[in-house]
Amino acid sequence: MLDSLDDKRLIFVTGKGGVGKSTTTAALGAALAARGKLVLVVETDTYSAMAEMLGARATGIKPTEAREGVWAVNLTARECLVSTLTRFLPSERVVRAITSNRVAEAFFESAPSVSEFVLLDQIQLYVENAAEQGFDHVLVDLPASGHAVTFLSVPKTLHGMMRGLGPIAKRAAAISAGIEDPRHTAILAVCLPEEMPVNETIDLSNQLRDQLGRSLDLAVVNMVHRAPIDGTWRASFHALRKRLSQGVEPAEILAGDDADALTRMVAGNALALDWYDRDMRYLGLLETRLGADVVEVPMIYEIDDTKLVDKVAHYLESPFDPTDSDALAS
Amino acid sequence: MADTDHILDIVNTARLIVCAGPGGVGKTTTSAALGLRAALAGRRVIVLTIDPARRLANSLGLDELTNEPQRIDLSERVPDVTTDTGELWAMMLDQKQTLDDLVARYAPDKGALNRSHDNNIYKLLSSTLAGMQEYMALDKLHDLYTGGYYELVVLDTPPTKNALEFLETPGRARQFFDDRVIKWFLPNQQPKGLLGRVMNPAGAVVVGLLSRVFGQAFVDDLIDFFDTLQFLQEALRTRGEMIDFILRDPATRFLVITSADARRIKEAMYFHEKLGSLNQKAGAFILNRVMPNFAVEDLAEVDQGALRAALEVEGVAPEHSAALSQQLERQYAHLAELATHNRTIIARFASQVGPGLLRTVPLFGEDVHDLTQLRRLGHFLTPSAPL
Repeated sequence: MLDSLDDKRLIFVTGKGGVGKSTTTAALGAALAARGKLVLVVETDTYSAMAEMLGARATGIKPTEAREGVWAVNLTARECLVSTLTRFLPSERVVRAITSNRVAEAFFESAPSVSEFVLLDQIQLYVENAAEQGFDHVLVDLPASGHAVTFLSVPKTLHGMMRGLGPIAKRAAAISAGIEDPRHTAILAVCLPEEMPVNETIDLSNQLRDQLGRSLDLAVVNMVHRAPIDGTWRASFHALRKRLSQGVEPAEILAGDDADALTRMVAGNALALDWYDRDMRYLGLLETRLGADVVEVPMIYEIDDTKLVDKVAHYLESPFDPTDSDALAS
Repeated sequence: MADTDHILDIVNTARLIVCAGPGGVGKTTTSAALGLRAALAGRRVIVLTIDPARRLANSLGLDELTNEPQRIDLSERVPDVTTDTGELWAMMLDQKQTLDDLVARYAPDKGALNRSHDNNIYKLLSSTLAGMQEYMALDKLHDLYTGGYYELVVLDTPPTKNALEFLETPGRARQFFDDRVIKWFLPNQQPKGLLGRVMNPAGAVVVGLLSRVFGQAFVDDLIDFFDTLQFLQEALRTRGEMIDFILRDPATRFLVITSADARRIKEAMYFHEKLGSLNQKAGAFILNRVMPNFAVEDLAEVDQGALRAALEVEGVAPEHSAALSQQLERQYAHLAELATHNRTIIARFASQVGPGLLRTVPLFGEDVHDLTQLRRLGHFLTPSAPL
C-alpha cells in the first residue's frame, strides 16, 4: 500500500484528535524506514506522545534520531518564528530585539495565521535540505485542532493578502506550490469507522480539491473490528440470538447477572457482530464517496507504545481483511 | 460503583457543565444525554456543540443543528415524558456567523460595520485563524449563560489539547487587541506628531520592519483593521473577563470524558491537572465505550453439545455446527481477555481518581439514533435517577 508514497518527499498526516493520528504517523515512519528509507517525523504539538511511540526525546527544531531510520523534531511556533525572522530580517540583533519585546511577542502569538505560516516555513526548509541531509521523506503530524485545509491554505491566503509583494509573499508562494504539488507532496487522512470522522474525511477530500486543487492520497481507518463469525452462518446465528435474548439488548444481558453462560456467550458474539456491521457501514460510505485509497487497520489492544507502532506499521504495509473471521485463530 | 451519584448532582445543580476530554470517545453524544437528563428533571437546558454532528441532530429530531438554538419537542418524542417545566435546546457553533454577530452588535455605525467586513485581516480572522472557533464558542457561551433564559448550559469542547488552549482563549484575544499593539499601528492616537513617534519608538521600528518583510499592502491592511475594529477592544475585554469569571464559578462543573484506553486516560488526567489553574477540578470522570462484562468463566460453563444442538435447531447443518460453535467460543474467549485487560485499566484509573468519581458506560452495539437511546445512555450516566 505504501508504494504510492515512494516519490513523496513531503507527507502530511491529518485527522481530528482521538483517531490515532500520532500513532499512525509514527507507524508510517517505521514502515517507510523498514523499506530502507530515512524519514524525518515532524510534530507541531507541545503536548506530544511521539516521544513514547518512537522512543525519541525530540524537542527543538534540530532533528534527533529516534529509532533506526526515523528522526524526529517537535516544533513550536515560537522557535519557528525566530527562525523565520532571522532569515528575513537584516540582523540577528533586530530579531532578538523583536522577539524579546513582550508586546511584539504577544502580537505574533495572537495574530492570525502567523503560527501556521512559520511552522510551514520551517517544514519547507526541511524539505529543501532533505536531499543534503539524506532524508527521503519529511512526515508531518499536523495539529489535531481546526481544519487541515485551513492550515495548509495559509501560505496561499497570505500571498494573496500581500498582493505578492515582499520577501514573505514570495516565500509563501513557494510553500504553497510545494503543498499543491501532487507529485512530491502527499496528504493522508486518519480516521475511525464512525460517523463524524468518516464525514470529516470526505469533507476534507472535497475541500482539498476545491481550495488547493489537489486530491487526498490515502485514508487510514484505525480500529476496525473483525467479523466474529463467518458470513454464511449469519442468518442462523441471528435466529439463535433472537431466541435466547428474548428482546433484551446484548449489552444489558451482559451487564446483568441472570442470564446463563450460553446466552451470555451468544450475546457477546452478537455485540461483536454489531460492532463489525457498524464499522463496515461507515467503511462502505468512505470507500464509495472518497475517491482515494483506503487502508484498514484492525482494533489492536496493546499497552506498549513501541509494540503498538510496530503492529500498526505492519498493517500499513499489508492491510488485513476484516471479513476473515478465522484470522483470530492465528 | 459510586455511592454518591456525583453526575446526577451536577446535572441537577450546575449552571454550566463543560464536557472535556480526548477525541473519539463520544463526547458530543454524552453532552446531549446529560442535557436530556437535566431537561427531563425539569430544567431549561441548552447543549452547545462544536462538531457538525448530523446524527446527533437527527437523533434529536432535527435536520441539522444551526447557530441558533432550536428547541427539541420532548413531549412528542419521548414516550411518557414527565416534565412540565423541562426544555431541551441544542445548537452548533458557526464561528464566522458568531463573529459577524459580535461585530454587528458593537459596531458604532453602519459605516464601521461595512468597513469591518471589507477588511482583509477581518476576513482572515473570521475564517482561518486557528483558535477562532474556541474563542467564538466561549463568546457564544457568554451570551447563553448571561442571557438568563437557560438554567443550564452544556458545553461540548474540542479534543483535549485544544480544550486546554480553550480555557486560555479569552486572554489570547485580549492580547491581540492590547493597547500597546494598537499604539504601534495607530500612533496618531497618542500625543500628535513628532512627540508621539518619540514616545513610541518600538512601534515605529516594528511597523517599519513588518512592512519590509510582509509588504506595505499587508501592513496597510493591519492599520486599517485596528483603526476600524478598535470598537471591539472594550467588548473583548469585558466579555473575556466575564468568561474567565464564569469558568471559575463554583456552579460551573467540568466532566472529563474518556475511554478505557491507557493513552486517552493519560490525556484526560493531563486535562484534569490543568484545571487547577482555574481553581477547578473534574466533577466526575466518565469512561465511555467500556467492554461489557465478558467473563472467561462463562466458557467453562457452556456445554458444547447444547450449543451445537441450539445452532442446529436454527438450521446449521450438523457437519458445520462444530466449526461455528468453535468460532463463537474463540471470539468470546478473545472478548473476555480484552474485558479483563479493560478492567485492569479501569481499576488503576479508579485508584488514581477515587472510585466515587468514576462512571463507566458500556460500548453499545449501535449508534444513538433517537431520544429513547439517548435517554438510555443518560440512565447509565446517572443510574440513581429513575429512567
